[in-house]
Amino acid sequence: MHPLALDGNWRLVAGILLGIVFGFLLVKSKVAWRKTLIDQLFLKNTYFIKMFLVSVSVGSILFFFCAKWGLVNPQFRAVYFWGAAIGGLLTAIGLALCGQIPSSTVASLASGRLYAIWVLAGMLLAIPVVHVVSDGLAKTLSKWPVPFQEETLQDLFSSPQICFWIAGISIIAALFLEFIRTNSEESESK
Amino acid sequence: MITKILTGKWSAYLSGTIIAFFFVLTLYILDSPTGMSDAYIMISDYCKASIHAREVKELPFLDWQTGFLGGIFIGALIAAIFGGDWKIRMIPESSGKGVIASAGITVITGLAGGFLVMLGLQVAGDSFLGQWAGAIQLSTTSWVFFISLLLWGIVFTAIIAAKVAKSNIVDDGKNEKKEK
Repeated sequence: MHPLALDGNWRLVAGILLGIVFGFLLVKSKVAWRKTLIDQLFLKNTYFIKMFLVSVSVGSILFFFCAKWGLVNPQFRAVYFWGAAIGGLLTAIGLALCGQIPSSTVASLASGRLYAIWVLAGMLLAIPVVHVVSDGLAKTLSKWPVPFQEETLQDLFSSPQICFWIAGISIIAALFLEFIRTNSEESESK
Repeated sequence: MITKILTGKWSAYLSGTIIAFFFVLTLYILDSPTGMSDAYIMISDYCKASIHAREVKELPFLDWQTGFLGGIFIGALIAAIFGGDWKIRMIPESSGKGVIASAGITVITGLAGGFLVMLGLQVAGDSFLGQWAGAIQLSTTSWVFFISLLLWGIVFTAIIAAKVAKSNIVDDGKNEKKEK
């Protein structure tokens, strides 16, 4: 067995259909709303982190078996350690300010939240800046020592079955967060 | 049942499970990770070229990532209409200040926040969804990205919250003096 790997116009059609499903999901899961991510960072509402942990728990096991059966290939961009760490820091400051990620910005706009246009403009403005600074940044970051160079957690822990541990820990963490529901979550569920 | 799914709110468990299947399904169908980083780069370059030329010559190239971006717009529109969430809003719901102050803050935080989010994602080398799909595939750098994001996010939100609380206390003090 091997991945379907559509190409040409079918790939475009699949992209649009997957986008429609994901856009629907963004609104239904409340990730499209600025409040969800801001409340997550304020630790007022743990909806986003629970959703993330559940997706990792289910997804890592699903990916493990699908990869084993040859249905999917590992597909992620190998990034330098410090690039990921500093990228996380910059994204965190941005999220604390605007509470939107690129996909949720588009979903917010589609839902009538016109203020998301400013976030979209900011995102589009950032790309030319990255073009300008990327060479210098890459040269600087690549000189910093890294704690590890393994691309996957399986290699890092030398265990192909690490996904089961990650899935178990993630679901326990999600259930723990469910038990310590915040006041905001209690009032929302009522 | 279908009406309930279309109009009701989804739990974190249902959303998380669907997202997991969605990411793996995308890998199977496209043999490529979910993401739209390239679409944003292409749109930004297109805008830059149009501004330089001072005219819009032809529509940008449509690939699966650009289609994905358009699909998100359509899907979110459908979900918002069916779920009764479609509302025209110029300023965020949670904004507590006056209309003019809120509009100014919305523009500044939107531009600055959007700029930093995209800058961070570009430095990290992939879109947010790409990193999420990477975390499911147990990519070490995706996990470094998310751990860094969560820790720093909480730190900076706490700093912002402390500043807002401080300015509210100062405002309350001024109001009390005026009343006296």
